[in-house]
Amino acid sequence: MDRWDKMKIIDKENFIFPNIIDYKKDYLKSETKLPEGVVLEKITKGINEIIFDYLNTKEFQGVGEKFTSLAEESYNSGIIFYIPKDVKVESPIKIEFDMDEENPVVINQNIIVAEKGSEGTIIMDYTSSEKVGAFHNGLTKIYAKENSIINIIKVQRMNDISHNFDSNIAIVKGQGQVNWISIELGSGISSSNYSNFLEAEASEANLSSIYLGDGKRKIDLEYSMIHKGPRSISNIETKGVLMDHAKKVFKGNLDFKKGARLSKGIEEEYVILLDPTVKSDSIPALLCHEDDVEGEHAASAGQINENKLFYLMSRGLEEREAKKLIVEASFRPIIDRIPYEIYRNIVVDEVERRLMDGKN
Amino acid sequence: MERRKTYIEDVDRGIYDIKNKFTYRYKSDKGLTPEIIIEISKEKDEPKWMTDFRLKSLEIYSSKPVPTWGADLSGLDMDNIITYVRPDADMGDSWDDVPEDIKKTFELLGIPQAERESLAGVGAQYDSEIVYHNIKQELVDQGVIYTDMETALHQYEDIVREHFMQLIPPNDHKFAALHGAVWSGGSFVYVPEGVNVDIPLQSYFRLNAPGAGQFEHTLIIVEKGANLHFIEGCSAPQYRVTNLHAGCVELYVRENARLRYSTIENWSRNMYNLNTKRAIVDKNGTIEWISGSFGSKVTMLYPMSILKGEGAKSEFTGVTFASTGQYLDTGTKVVHAAPHTISSINSKSISKNGGHAFYRGLLKVTPDAYGCKSTVSCESLMLDNESASDTVPVIKLDNDNIDIGHEAKIGRISDEAIFYLMSRGINEEEAKAMIVRGFVEPITKELPLEYAVELNNLINIELEGSIG
Amino acid sequence: MTKNLLNVKNLKINIEDKEILKGLNLQINEGEIHILMGPNGSGKSTLAYTLMGHPKYEIAEGDIIFNGELINDLRADERAKRGIFLSFQYPEEIPGVTVEEFLRTAKTSVTGKFHGVIAFKKLLKEKMDLLEMEEEYASRYLNQGFSGGEKKKNEILQMSVLEPKLAILDETDSGLDVDAISIVAEGVKRVQDDKKSILVITHYNKLLDYLKPDFVHILLDGKIVKTGGIELAKEIDERGYENIRTKYSN
Repeated sequence: MDRWDKMKIIDKENFIFPNIIDYKKDYLKSETKLPEGVVLEKITKGINEIIFDYLNTKEFQGVGEKFTSLAEESYNSGIIFYIPKDVKVESPIKIEFDMDEENPVVINQNIIVAEKGSEGTIIMDYTSSEKVGAFHNGLTKIYAKENSIINIIKVQRMNDISHNFDSNIAIVKGQGQVNWISIELGSGISSSNYSNFLEAEASEANLSSIYLGDGKRKIDLEYSMIHKGPRSISNIETKGVLMDHAKKVFKGNLDFKKGARLSKGIEEEYVILLDPTVKSDSIPALLCHEDDVEGEHAASAGQINENKLFYLMSRGLEEREAKKLIVEASFRPIIDRIPYEIYRNIVVDEVERRLMDGKN
Repeated sequence: MERRKTYIEDVDRGIYDIKNKFTYRYKSDKGLTPEIIIEISKEKDEPKWMTDFRLKSLEIYSSKPVPTWGADLSGLDMDNIITYVRPDADMGDSWDDVPEDIKKTFELLGIPQAERESLAGVGAQYDSEIVYHNIKQELVDQGVIYTDMETALHQYEDIVREHFMQLIPPNDHKFAALHGAVWSGGSFVYVPEGVNVDIPLQSYFRLNAPGAGQFEHTLIIVEKGANLHFIEGCSAPQYRVTNLHAGCVELYVRENARLRYSTIENWSRNMYNLNTKRAIVDKNGTIEWISGSFGSKVTMLYPMSILKGEGAKSEFTGVTFASTGQYLDTGTKVVHAAPHTISSINSKSISKNGGHAFYRGLLKVTPDAYGCKSTVSCESLMLDNESASDTVPVIKLDNDNIDIGHEAKIGRISDEAIFYLMSRGINEEEAKAMIVRGFVEPITKELPLEYAVELNNLINIELEGSIG
Repeated sequence: MTKNLLNVKNLKINIEDKEILKGLNLQINEGEIHILMGPNGSGKSTLAYTLMGHPKYEIAEGDIIFNGELINDLRADERAKRGIFLSFQYPEEIPGVTVEEFLRTAKTSVTGKFHGVIAFKKLLKEKMDLLEMEEEYASRYLNQGFSGGEKKKNEILQMSVLEPKLAILDETDSGLDVDAISIVAEGVKRVQDDKKSILVITHYNKLLDYLKPDFVHILLDGKIVKTGGIELAKEIDERGYENIRTKYSN
């Protein structure tokens, strides 16, 4: 055994990209008028590289260099969202990619910069219409300056013959905050990476996520919290469900660098396994070069609690119904963090559909 | 509990009787060649299958790269591997060559001079048989075998042949292959069906036989319903001039049997400790690992339990204490390969004064191993911010009918806890030492008293002057 | 003539730039029982921690004199050796260290005399019997998994083993049922004699039914605003702190 953690379920090195064609549909949905000074536009080639150079960090790999450089060099879509100092953008920025026969490829680069004391919310929803083997490769970069707050919700519910690769990076300055919600419900192959660099005093990042693996889907998740600043805070809370022949790899990295004194990081992954044919691999790593920190991780895996199941069935629910209810209940706290009802409903519907379609 | 150390006097006599009898017959050669291997085998008068096994291992060794995923092994002189296998005659033959810090530790642990010399590997050229024929007569009468590997190879050739490096095949990794090629010394224990060995067997002195501490092989078979506690090593530093230790430990735990394997490893701080330990457990059998890693410059050690039979169980309790200049990469691997198998892992690490403690674990559940349970707990204590502590547990689950829980925590000694103890009149240094001793208590309580006492002394020595 | 044991003069304590104690004066003579009452946030626990020498509570101004010695700069262990004891409101859990091992170490340290295992076991058993504690407590890990009541009892056990000159009880009565309070009170009384003193810090007066205080002090906003006898405690019990607060806020 030459490597310790051989946990590859997706062969990224040999993955062949589809032909890159334009994505012609409109994906930027926000209608409301934005406060003065806010920039929200579709990304155009050439302009952003200069401004956002500081987002290039060597420590950041995303889902793989091949994928991040594709997104940086050959994107066909994406947004630039800039919030000036002390401006709060109340209404969420909605970005929806609905891949179809004419537009099966989305390679997007999204750049979000929140100046000091500003605030904004972004929702990104990825779907693909039936029978289209769509491809998404994304790169989202967030730069949250002092005292700013960025909320970002990502919903991925592409069909089972699609491929999804998504790299995300957040650089968070003093008392800035980035809150991610990641909903992973679709795509035959889905690989996502969220890397948060907590650069300064009291920088904070929170990542709440759910994933549901069904059919023969393969899910590869990597979440990193890199604490550099003192008193920085991070939370990872992940709830998963695996059924049928689904495979999942979860890597959670809580990394306290020297200087991150008085920082606090918590990482939790709980997965419910519904079928004997699933594969569930996890590496919840805790790395520490600073003594005065509090770091914790917890992981658990197992079937649905028998007592709970029995209780519900004793009230007349069928096993399948009861299981669905319990799974939904485990997702609920995360789903409830999505600040918009319409998206909460979209997510619940998709979860239910997938649970009922399964053989459970 | 009987204090096994009472035979120290016998050992002393043994040392004086045969002092300087052993001489190194080979001058160092550059590479490891089939000729050298054949020579080693011939010298030991081994059966042909063993010579062939060694040669095959050498082939594998030559074809494998040095692993790069864990510790930095660049300090090992791999081009000159022969020097590890056949040290020069004039190396480490004198008490004066033993480093000062080790001499001081001996002193603080209160180890007598003769014993110190033997631990330091300088005066220990005695025939280990003298020590080990002390195995209690009643155990012998019940058919318990406890001897060195060389003797076992001749007297119990069939058993050895059936089990030797079957759990740890030479192609496992480069150092397992090296071990297969050049192994020497070690313990062989056979406990027949239903026999309960009620005193711990210890390999305390065996490791000090010349060459034996380097590539020793331990093979233990505990037959159905039998019970054994085996203790390897001791808490005093073991000093070797040559700094590679690549031993192998293979443990066979049969149906309903129980084996506890305890190790307090405290190699001197120049050692690369690349040890491989593995146990296979049949139906309803139990393996318990008690593992303390204190010494060495670099350690890579992950005792592995393969739970092969239904209802088999493994318990791992480990403490790793990494200080200045040490990189201790330790952990455990458990493979649940049968239904209703149970494992628990309790790992504690302490890092101080620039030491780096790394927990690396593997928990694997195979598709057929339904109804398994496992709990994993990793706790790390950092005593200052010069040090580092990492925890990387790998969890691989291939079926759903399981109950797996994992927890890890990292942090320092809380100021409030120190204040609380100080408010009762205990000074700061002692308060911290008390908390650290409490932290490792799960392992000390599992050890025979003399080891527990030495372990606590060792912690006090480690903490002395570094805090407060 | 009664001898002064503790003399706190114009004590001012700041925590993170906020003044918590604002010039507190308190005198306790040998053999006296004092009750310090005050609402939440008045600085009660701050005083307790400060007297014990918690490094977080830095003395901005004022003196703490114990037995004629200025102890402002002494560490907690040094104060313990001089005979100060604090019963913690929230005792720390120390896994892996047994109550017995801990107390034997503490007793040896405080008295400067070695206490052997066997002799100490006997001493501990006596003290535990008096507090109606099961023997198995001695081998349990210090406060780990103890209920609230068990922790408080354990504090009193420590006090009775260490036999301090001045015992400060910080909210020792909170979280205890009636039976436990009477046992704790008995334990406290046994420690006190004409040389030894007790400072009870509380925000209500459950322990007062058992202890006969010589003085009752009211702490409001970092200062002792009123001192009296047991009747003062009764007044607080009936009318709360508001009455006193309005009187002294002017």
